[in-house]
Amino acid sequence: MSDQLPAAALERLANLRQSGQHGGIFTSDLTVNEFLLVREVGFEPVGLVLGSCIYHVGIQYGSWSRNQELTVLSEAMYQARELAMARMRQEAQACHADGIVGVRLEVKALEWDKDLLEFMAIGTAVVHREGKEGFKGLQGQPFTSDLSGQDFWTLLQSGYRPLEMVMGSCVYHVAHQGVMRSLGNIGRNVEITQFSQALYDARELAMERMQKEALGAGAEGVTGVVVHERNHNWQPHVIEFFAIGTAVLPIAGDISPALAHPQVVLSVNG
Amino acid sequence: MDRFFKNLKDQLAGLAPQQPSPEEQLRDQQWAEALSRGALPQFVHQRLADTAAGKVPWISTLRPAELALARSQGIHPLGLVSGTCWFHFGYSWTHGHREGWDLTLSRLAQEARSLGANAVVDVTLKTSRNLGQVDSMDFMAVGTAVRVDGLAPAEEVPIASVPALEFVRLLDLGVLPVGLAVGASYEWLTDWSGRAAGQMTWWNQEAGQLSHFARSVQLRAIEGMRQDAARQGNGVLGSTQFSELLCFEGGEDNPNRYLARHIAVGTAILDGSRTARPSPVGSLGVRPVLDLEDTSPLQRDALQQEPL
Repeated sequence: MSDQLPAAALERLANLRQSGQHGGIFTSDLTVNEFLLVREVGFEPVGLVLGSCIYHVGIQYGSWSRNQELTVLSEAMYQARELAMARMRQEAQACHADGIVGVRLEVKALEWDKDLLEFMAIGTAVVHREGKEGFKGLQGQPFTSDLSGQDFWTLLQSGYRPLEMVMGSCVYHVAHQGVMRSLGNIGRNVEITQFSQALYDARELAMERMQKEALGAGAEGVTGVVVHERNHNWQPHVIEFFAIGTAVLPIAGDISPALAHPQVVLSVNG
Repeated sequence: MDRFFKNLKDQLAGLAPQQPSPEEQLRDQQWAEALSRGALPQFVHQRLADTAAGKVPWISTLRPAELALARSQGIHPLGLVSGTCWFHFGYSWTHGHREGWDLTLSRLAQEARSLGANAVVDVTLKTSRNLGQVDSMDFMAVGTAVRVDGLAPAEEVPIASVPALEFVRLLDLGVLPVGLAVGASYEWLTDWSGRAAGQMTWWNQEAGQLSHFARSVQLRAIEGMRQDAARQGNGVLGSTQFSELLCFEGGEDNPNRYLARHIAVGTAILDGSRTARPSPVGSLGVRPVLDLEDTSPLQRDALQQEPL
């Protein structure tokens, strides 16, 4: 199913504005400022593209008293997001886009089944107006980025281009505290190192993975990184750390004069 | 069919707790050993060192606009740094908050040193009680370690909750952000007279005792933040406050008890610092500009569901 776009999607995409042709309608969720800035750097929005999947996340239990990663869940969370992203990218490719800006990746727990999670990736596909080459992401696929229109403009102006959204996921079971140890803490101010260690390790693993993915993509760096910490309707001691950001690569050519000496302003808007 | 059985097998395997692999066990030991002596494990330092040396891509919380500053203002992102500490409050919530943040920030500073940074910007602080604990919580800090050209290396890496752009702006005006200032205070009030929340009257009036009680707790927290700032510099910017007043109903024979607590956190600065960069700006020139910041109702976030 993941190899082919549904007929309805193909029909929708066929009615969108295609690269190089100005007829047709584009859809986007860009704001006015974003729209103007995306055009300013030579790109045109093509259409809103999305990919979604409802994923059955397998079952895995951690030992009651042990800190450990739940690899089955880590993989599920990663693969489901990757699947949603791939479907979105496929739509973008079908309308000959160079890339996707403003991608949002959402995870929703479904009320009626706690093992089912819905993943959705949505963003605006863009294409270079004059068909200039060199903006595609990995393997000639459209680039993906969670950058806003403003960020996209600034990034290109400062001599970088977005390559791919990179992510790292780690679902971790945090050990329960033994009764004896809990009693030992009564009346004392102490660090619970067992918990600290688990959270630290889980975050470290998520970031490590994201960094490794960026290395594999041949990026110079990752911008706008956010580390989320969430429990998706799981048992209380199970936490997912999820790191995500946009991998970037320098483009040949000089930095634009506009950014070489930017005017620094103090906003009085508060 | 094969796939069905494979899935079933995987499912059943998931039911039994998985045994940690030797690597996981080793990693576990290294964490425990390092944290017990107030350090971080070797592999964390290694990853940071590799990042600093450019062997792996840098990662940063900075947005593209802030990255552009790398060229124009000489502020280079080195890597994302973080610190965490789960702290249990036994005898003192106030001290617990202090120590919790101190430990968290000291770990963040260790990571920053490992990257060879001379400042950490864009630090966000978060607490969580994800594990359903009542008398303990997690303190977490995440920020981006940077190297600022022309900023003298200090023994203690300045940690600032302000974004990179504002950090540079302050430096250019001779103000050095030096660290985070934290103040916390809490107190119990037992309402023996039953009148703390005001007498039963028909007119508007101040709930005198309660109002005075809450205020004193708040002021003490702010004073704590001031003292913390005084250790590091001579001012506080962008302070945020967290305040709570809880009532525990006593019932028939027992009086009500009130709990007030307050936390104040801000960025401590050293005004007129000699370590700041020589100012290329001098004074603020105020000029009207058109701002591209989005405040449009069309903004995506306005409709966005809960993020990740």
